[in-house]
Amino acid sequence: MFKREMRINLKSFIIWTSILIILFLIVFLIYPSIINNENIKLIDEMMQLFPKEMLKSFNMDISSIDSAFGWVKTEGFIFILLITGIYSGILGSSILSKEENDKTVEYLSSLPIKRSSIVINKMLVGIIYIFLMIIILGIFNYIGLSLSGNFDKKLYLILSITPLLSSIVIFNLCLYLSTYSHKTNKTLVLSLGLVFISYFLQILSELSNETEVLKYFSIFTLTDIRNIIITGTINPIMIIISLIISVGLGVATVIHYNNKELI
Amino acid sequence: MKKTIIELKELTKYYGKTRGIENISLRLSQGEIFGLIGENGAGKSTTIRTIMHLLNKTSGQVLINNKEFVKTDISIKESIGYLPSEICLYCDLTVKQMLNYHASFFKKSTNTRRRKLVKLLKLDETKKIEDLSLGNLKKLGIVLAFMHQPQILILDEPTSGLDPIMQNVFYELIKEEKQKGTTILYSTHILNEVSKICDRVGIIKDGRLIKVETVEDLTKQNLGIVTITSVEIERIIKELKVEVIYKNETTVKFKNNLSHQDLLEKLTTYKIDKILIEDMNLEDMFLHYARRDDNV
Repeated sequence: MFKREMRINLKSFIIWTSILIILFLIVFLIYPSIINNENIKLIDEMMQLFPKEMLKSFNMDISSIDSAFGWVKTEGFIFILLITGIYSGILGSSILSKEENDKTVEYLSSLPIKRSSIVINKMLVGIIYIFLMIIILGIFNYIGLSLSGNFDKKLYLILSITPLLSSIVIFNLCLYLSTYSHKTNKTLVLSLGLVFISYFLQILSELSNETEVLKYFSIFTLTDIRNIIITGTINPIMIIISLIISVGLGVATVIHYNNKELI
Repeated sequence: MKKTIIELKELTKYYGKTRGIENISLRLSQGEIFGLIGENGAGKSTTIRTIMHLLNKTSGQVLINNKEFVKTDISIKESIGYLPSEICLYCDLTVKQMLNYHASFFKKSTNTRRRKLVKLLKLDETKKIEDLSLGNLKKLGIVLAFMHQPQILILDEPTSGLDPIMQNVFYELIKEEKQKGTTILYSTHILNEVSKICDRVGIIKDGRLIKVETVEDLTKQNLGIVTITSVEIERIIKELKVEVIYKNETTVKFKNNLSHQDLLEKLTTYKIDKILIEDMNLEDMFLHYARRDDNV
């Protein structure tokens, strides 16, 4: 079952990973020609025109986009978080509910396999693909950045790992929510909504002190990129919280799926 | 006395407040073929899906080999071959890949039996599942249900979609399984096949099992249909208090539950032009029970 799940989810993995790789490839190819001594001043002047709150929401107040690594640290990681988040949401919402949506669940549940094993197998496949996506992208960007010039390798390494925290939580949350429906399209809409709302809450939380409280409602807070750029370290509390939420959601998924009427 | 293999004890399933099935109690012994018949929506598939844990029972028990069948019991699942009424399989696979995938879940080797079944049902293993016709999909479902040589077969409308030749091949296969001692729960609305292959039959109506009989006993009952042509139609209906199926000015067709002897004696007092007494076949019998009031 594990092998089959790996095989049928390979295509979407390749597509989503390719999207990210192409995006970064374009940046690595064109960035050196955009950013040079002549226009770096113009960019800095342009940045002065933007409100501070806006620069803060893209982490541009603490990091300059005067190099490829500068761009990766700021806007680049926002893309990575969003796209890995969307991929994780889609994967989580469909990997289990697809069996019910396609009505293959009647066959699957007649097989001598526990429902908990079905969930664990699918969960494992999802987590492996999320890991692989982040590792492959991390390696690709490392090569790209190395060719573009010098960069802080330790900071890059820590930043590369952080999307795992939000992606695994999004995957597990969507997997859990999918156990409440028989239709993939319903859970898919919910998952995408969840990712985008989370993202906007994260941006809004950076805009002022009054809206800061919104960060507690955003999954992307777990990645804590701003803190990593400033301190150069990952907050262990975020790792612990991500782990607790993921394990909790995983257990809840197994329990709910075990008691679910599959037809 | 033969060993009980499947036992349902007051199995009940409610969908919220709506009744699915209620208090279904049944025992199937080793090597028995039990036909579950009923109209659409009577509760046949609900019974089967509740047994298979696709639906959560509201109350009652399902015992397999005198052991409660809980959904986590893999060893019991291994002993069951299940053929759903609507077969949905993985469209991206070929027949061969599907059979390999299925075999990977079972400890014992399925190769010999699988080859025999594929040959018998003339199944093309190279075809993709998405390209299979309804009949071929059904054949694949049959191979999947039978290939691990289960002790129990639960078949929900297994011949729908099969051509008459394949239906006969399938009946032979069922008989072969019976000889091996396989216990079979066979849900259908094709009454002809029930009389062909089943030992006992259960009629399910509005979620309740209203009659369980051997096929032989059910068709042997003194139930018959009588058609009389007479000028005294109204008198006959009134005095004999018969259940009229059809009538016009000169002819009446009614259900008879008297012996032929008693019926003829009673009819001697009337002026009768023509009389036709027919035995009920299984189909008439089913309609008789299915349309009767609930207090049977």
